[in-house]
Amino acid sequence: MTAEPKLLVKGWVPPKLDRPFTVVGRRINRRDAVEKVCGKALYANDIHFPGTLYAKILRSPHPHARIKKVDTSRAESVPGVKAVISRNNFKDWYTYWYKIPQPGFPEIVLYAGHEVAAVAAETPEAANEAVGLIEVEYERLPAVFDVEEALSECSPVVSYSDVVVPEGPFYATDKPPVRNVWGGGPAVLSRGDVEKGFEEADVVLERVYTTPFQHHGTLQTRTCVALWEGGRLTLYDSCQGIWQAKEDLALSFRLKPEQVRVIVKYMGGGFGSKSGAQRYAHYAAALSMLTGRPVRLELTRAEEFLSHPRRPAAKFYLKSGVKKNGRITAVWGRVLINAGSGGAYKPFKHDAILHPFYLYDCPNVHLEQWGVLTNLQFTGPTRSPLNIISSTAFESHVDELAAAIGMDPLKFRFMNYNPYADPVKKTRFSAKNLDKAMQAVCEEIGWDSPQRQHNGRYRTGRGMAVYMFHGVGFHPYEANAEVVVKPDGRAELRMGIVDIGTGSATTMAMVAAEELGVNLEDVDVMYGDTDGTMYAPGSHASRVIPEVGPAVLKAAAEAREQLFAALADKLKVAPSELRSERGFIYLKEDGRPLLSFREACRIANVEIVGRGSRAPNPGPYPRGGETSAVNFATFGATAAVVEVDTWTGKVRVVRCATAHEFGRVLNPKLVESQHYGGVLFGIGYALYEGAVHDKKTGIMLNADLLNYKIPTTLEMPEEIVCINIEAEDPYFAYSAKGGAEGINSAVPAAIRNAVYDAVGVWVNDFPIIPERLLRELEKMGSRDAV
Amino acid sequence: MVLKTSVEVELKVNGSLRKAKVNVYTTLAELLREKFGLTGTKLGCNRGECGACTVVMDGKPVYSCMVLAVDADGSEVLTVEGLSAGEGLHPLQKLFIEHDALQCGYCTPGFLMSLTALFQSREKITLEDIKHSVAGVVCRCGAHPNILRAAAEYAGLR
Ligand code: FES
Ligand code: FES
Repeated sequence: MTAEPKLLVKGWVPPKLDRPFTVVGRRINRRDAVEKVCGKALYANDIHFPGTLYAKILRSPHPHARIKKVDTSRAESVPGVKAVISRNNFKDWYTYWYKIPQPGFPEIVLYAGHEVAAVAAETPEAANEAVGLIEVEYERLPAVFDVEEALSECSPVVSYSDVVVPEGPFYATDKPPVRNVWGGGPAVLSRGDVEKGFEEADVVLERVYTTPFQHHGTLQTRTCVALWEGGRLTLYDSCQGIWQAKEDLALSFRLKPEQVRVIVKYMGGGFGSKSGAQRYAHYAAALSMLTGRPVRLELTRAEEFLSHPRRPAAKFYLKSGVKKNGRITAVWGRVLINAGSGGAYKPFKHDAILHPFYLYDCPNVHLEQWGVLTNLQFTGPTRSPLNIISSTAFESHVDELAAAIGMDPLKFRFMNYNPYADPVKKTRFSAKNLDKAMQAVCEEIGWDSPQRQHNGRYRTGRGMAVYMFHGVGFHPYEANAEVVVKPDGRAELRMGIVDIGTGSATTMAMVAAEELGVNLEDVDVMYGDTDGTMYAPGSHASRVIPEVGPAVLKAAAEAREQLFAALADKLKVAPSELRSERGFIYLKEDGRPLLSFREACRIANVEIVGRGSRAPNPGPYPRGGETSAVNFATFGATAAVVEVDTWTGKVRVVRCATAHEFGRVLNPKLVESQHYGGVLFGIGYALYEGAVHDKKTGIMLNADLLNYKIPTTLEMPEEIVCINIEAEDPYFAYSAKGGAEGINSAVPAAIRNAVYDAVGVWVNDFPIIPERLLRELEKMGSRDAV
Repeated sequence: MVLKTSVEVELKVNGSLRKAKVNVYTTLAELLREKFGLTGTKLGCNRGECGACTVVMDGKPVYSCMVLAVDADGSEVLTVEGLSAGEGLHPLQKLFIEHDALQCGYCTPGFLMSLTALFQSREKITLEDIKHSVAGVVCRCGAHPNILRAAAEYAGLR
């Protein structure tokens, strides 16, 4: 490390560590592993209180309907039923997501699965029976599911007409200026003159790529237990952001934030879907407030598929010009995002076009992203939300451009590589080493000496793709952390985050131990509870390491300085002469320890509480490169070797290498697990996953884990090589940035490009199911007749 | 004819004899989780699609959500809580931790129990056996490469 840290923390910025790392960079096992392998980890489903009621939600069977009447009388008379809520008694009530209101029980339901009523009863059986006895009079309305139909003049309008829309249309607005378009028009990024660019081109290609709705498929179905007691709501939840859930619930029920406590110790997968307070938790809370009893609400697997905000599907139109010498002269793109009937769209309004805008050095670019509303379920953050859409479409397109002029795709990417954020204004990223990542993955799979098999039934090929992910400390959250050092020498790190399985509790403890100069075993961690911790971002958008990391580092450094100050007094030295390492205190110039850290705490005999806060990144939102001096993102690449069975159309990923720019890897063992998770999500997106909806009714036809295929041990590649690109980035704790997201983004295009290399056909509709691949092969005329 | 609704069952769970009164439609998973408080067995779908609820019943891996408690009467069941009974962790559990074969941990009991059934079934185990034995358990976090490493090491394959 050479440069001084520029951590975006409040107040004093700790100087860089003046010694080699002792904890950071080691392969440490995750802290909660023993509980997990012994079945002792208590997830929300495992928490039970005496007197618990069971809740069940009634959902609309229609994709678009006006609710004329809800009759709950028969349901209420079922023995054991304690409360029924619906429009009748909860009329102008809103649930909140990211602080944005959504009607709790809308008059107009916008998708099949929209909540209509909820019941709490003594047994799950009674709750189920009661839900079945609620009589609802629906007036069915015409519905629209396809993005292009939704944009046409004669489309039904997807909107809650009973709502005066608070501004910030995270969901369908009342009167969209253009039919069913979020925000009334597209988000646009452009530079130069595309028409001129097309004139200069030797080849102009026009293509359309489609990508599916991807579901998170968290293995734990959403479950919570809500407890209203003594004027306080406690929610044992499965959510990624306890502080955000607390805020949302307080808004929904007009409570003071201190009246809400959210606890999530263990969670069975989130991948973005469980950020903040989710709708289902609001119903449980409402029922608990009505009955004064603990209420447990557990969604079924089918409800998971039908109701949680999934990744939007997309249709990406691209037209690009390229010169024979390999230079891209123009890119024009329009992506139609099927945002369903609402959810969280605003934060993603540019995200499917950032990649083509920033990654390539092309002077003439015009890109539009349209968020289109349809009568399908909500959409929202999903591991690399729209990044995977842009990488899948554009990295596919890039290979076609390279092929059109007969150039090697890797060479083509290097030729058009943009080291800047904005290539015209020459603004910079805090760090960008995508070139190294591309080189590394391709070397790993033997790009130039592939053992390709181009004859016979089974054929092999290799492909690559790149991505950028901008979830590195952006708007709007503040991160806080506290490090308390007790007189016995043990430290306690307190953070308001959830460890959703990425190992955040472990990595953050490592930062605290490193900065304090103690052994990792001497750091306890308190997290997953809004009581006893300070505000922190949710564990989504790969925020924890880049945002909470600096706050933890600062808190630990402050605690250390407090100890040194007290100790210096007693030892008659200046605090600046002291340093700590591996649980011992040294005089800076001396190699021998003066005393142990524990002894030092005893002697110092003061209360030590270090605090750290990190503000969001400076610069405009979204995190574009146009105006701010420094921009933040992570980058990476994937290369894959696939085998195609030309008879059945099946594709198997044989090997795959992923490289991600972490800045610094805090714990290689945990980081590898993130690579694997990314590969699994990417392979699913490329080859197997996608919601199938009935064209006429919009009903999802594969809302189960048999027909919605998630890769298993049989589909995962035999070999996955994880490459961590490490390079200094002074804005983050020891340069460390996250990597839960990003990695999956380039996997689909790498696979699809490898399929081309193997069999010579481009598949532009994802997932590449056998039917689609065989159709392309047939077009090429390479199948024998039987 | 009087329809039976509530029945007394008795089975051996993790070595000890347990009794409970159950409904005819109660599943083994519900019996374990709700009556016996053994919540280590997880439910991910409650309909035989995900494998999270896998336990070893009379030496075979079963989806406990697909077995009725009345049909488990008289059987011997091993759950994840029974793996480490007695002195410390089971070697397979240790290997799972060492190889980080878990992330969120929700699928972990299912993988551990499927593998336990496999390893109990015969002496010689290949990597293919391992792969197939856990192909019926879903892990959305993508712990598979590490799960295979842990299992292969346990089987003496590496
Ligand atoms: S819960 Fe039994 S197979 Fe999913
Ligand atoms: S570790 Fe999360 S599902 Fe397997």
